[in-house]
Amino acid sequence: MNRRRKILGYSIAGFLLLFAILYLFPYVWMTAMSFKADGEIFSGKVFPENPTLVQYERLFFGYQYGDITLSVPYGTYFKNTIIVTVISLVMVLFFDAMAAYGFAKFNFPGKKVLFWLMIGTMMLPIYATLIPSFWLFSVLKWINTYHSLILPGVVDAYGIFLLKQYMETIPNELLDAAKVDGAGAFRRFWQIVVPLSRPAIGTLAVFRFLFVWNDYLWPLVIIRDDTMYTLTLGIANMQLRQGMVVWGSQMAASVLATLPVLILVLVMQKQFLRGLTAGAFKA
Amino acid sequence: MAFQHTRPKKPEIQKSTTPWLRLKEKLAPYPFIAPFFLGFAVFQLLPIAFSLYLSFSQWNGMSAIQFSGLQNFIDMFQDAKFWNALRVTFIITVFCTIVGTVGATTLAVLLEKVEDRLASILRVFFFLPSVTSVVVIGYIWKQLYSSDYGFFNSLLLRLGLPPQNWLTDPKLALPALLLMLIWAGLGWDALIITAGLRSIPDELYDAGKVDGTNGWTEFRYLTLPLLQPTLLFVLVTGVIFLWGIFAQPSVLTGGGPLRQTQTIAMYLYDVGFRYHKFGYASSIAIILSLIMFLSSYLNFRFVKSESEY
Repeated sequence: MNRRRKILGYSIAGFLLLFAILYLFPYVWMTAMSFKADGEIFSGKVFPENPTLVQYERLFFGYQYGDITLSVPYGTYFKNTIIVTVISLVMVLFFDAMAAYGFAKFNFPGKKVLFWLMIGTMMLPIYATLIPSFWLFSVLKWINTYHSLILPGVVDAYGIFLLKQYMETIPNELLDAAKVDGAGAFRRFWQIVVPLSRPAIGTLAVFRFLFVWNDYLWPLVIIRDDTMYTLTLGIANMQLRQGMVVWGSQMAASVLATLPVLILVLVMQKQFLRGLTAGAFKA
Repeated sequence: MAFQHTRPKKPEIQKSTTPWLRLKEKLAPYPFIAPFFLGFAVFQLLPIAFSLYLSFSQWNGMSAIQFSGLQNFIDMFQDAKFWNALRVTFIITVFCTIVGTVGATTLAVLLEKVEDRLASILRVFFFLPSVTSVVVIGYIWKQLYSSDYGFFNSLLLRLGLPPQNWLTDPKLALPALLLMLIWAGLGWDALIITAGLRSIPDELYDAGKVDGTNGWTEFRYLTLPLLQPTLLFVLVTGVIFLWGIFAQPSVLTGGGPLRQTQTIAMYLYDVGFRYHKFGYASSIAIILSLIMFLSSYLNFRFVKSESEY
């Protein structure tokens, strides 16, 4: 019985390994493509015969056509994405933690109604607000700005819910003791609740990072000027530059855009899974 | 896992506090939740109200808004492009939820049977598409499907078969999109189902073994029922996500050929931001939101009644 189980285990492992290799093929393609010179793209072979960095160089130093240099402001896309991601991450985590603390550790009139109102916003698809938001932002003259990319994402009921679930497990005695010692509500939040909630905040940070880094629809609507493009918009619009062979450099850009999230996931893998188990589906 | 305390409710002790301090404590929670509700009011409540109003109006974004009653909804009912988008999105949603959930459950269950170290590496592999930008995914697959130099066609050629126009043949474009979507969604669902599997206590499996379960009966009568809340979560989030799908098809095919891959969200975007019919686009948005609510509700009902045997 035990032996049979072992054999079964090995054959499942073998099957999954094979499947995983097939599954990862698109990534192999992306990487291989990014190291090909233009002439090799149509060769019909997956791997480059003479690997080259030319596609990566183009992203930062532009395309050389004889004397003419056509530049892709790829560095700018990267910078924009990093600025937007970092600021919105900090803001979302701060405001989410605040609201979660308010809901988890206080009783106040109207709490129930407000809580369900917040939960209700989770059900709201972005399409229900897309057109009026676009109009609102153009009236405010916020088209092509960082804050138009950042602010709407700060309203994040899902994150509040996740953190609230976690904060409720922090013993009230701890907070009461601090209260007796004269710590105000904000100090209890900042010096006790936030440090103790670090695992949940970490999980949420990964979620939000992935969301903001990869977002496409909202930037597409709100950003028109290509010096304000995020990475996703930039990669999507490479296609439109006429007269250039973009296939290779598009894949190079894709590799560079994927690397940061890949590293993040590898580093945070354990925490990520734990975070999912802890709070994801206790609705 | 969070352990549950059952703590007797304590009377509020607030000795040695002045009325001022007591008031301060009473008002304390509001500043903490205020930023969320402020943002909610500005970025959600206000737009939604405006959206509802627009859905009963004609507006090109420049001239005055004209109230037109149910006209937009009547137009939508007669709009072949809308029905086409509805059909395409329906096919995508039904196919990807069913195939995706079955595939992800199978993958998650198999991964649990593999030795831990290998399983955790494999999990990262399968999870990769979930963290990759949808734009990146779309362009990789666009290249794989390319008629000139794509992988699928070079494979066909090597097998001596005629190459296909994967993305420009009206019969092939939607299946090509579906394959990409299944690939992209598999790891995420599998991870959530893995989390669900882990929350099933081992004792139950041990008890099952005493009763003489084999692999299949164990899965059918033990794992599956206990996994039900997780599967419900996967179904509901999946259905909402798929009904609203936009970026993947617009990058891969742009909705073509002959609108065979144009989803409701893409049609909405076109109507609003290309043709500037903001009133009509808002009515489509309202209908899309209603569809999302309705199908998550149906999911809840279906899974609930399924569990009552």
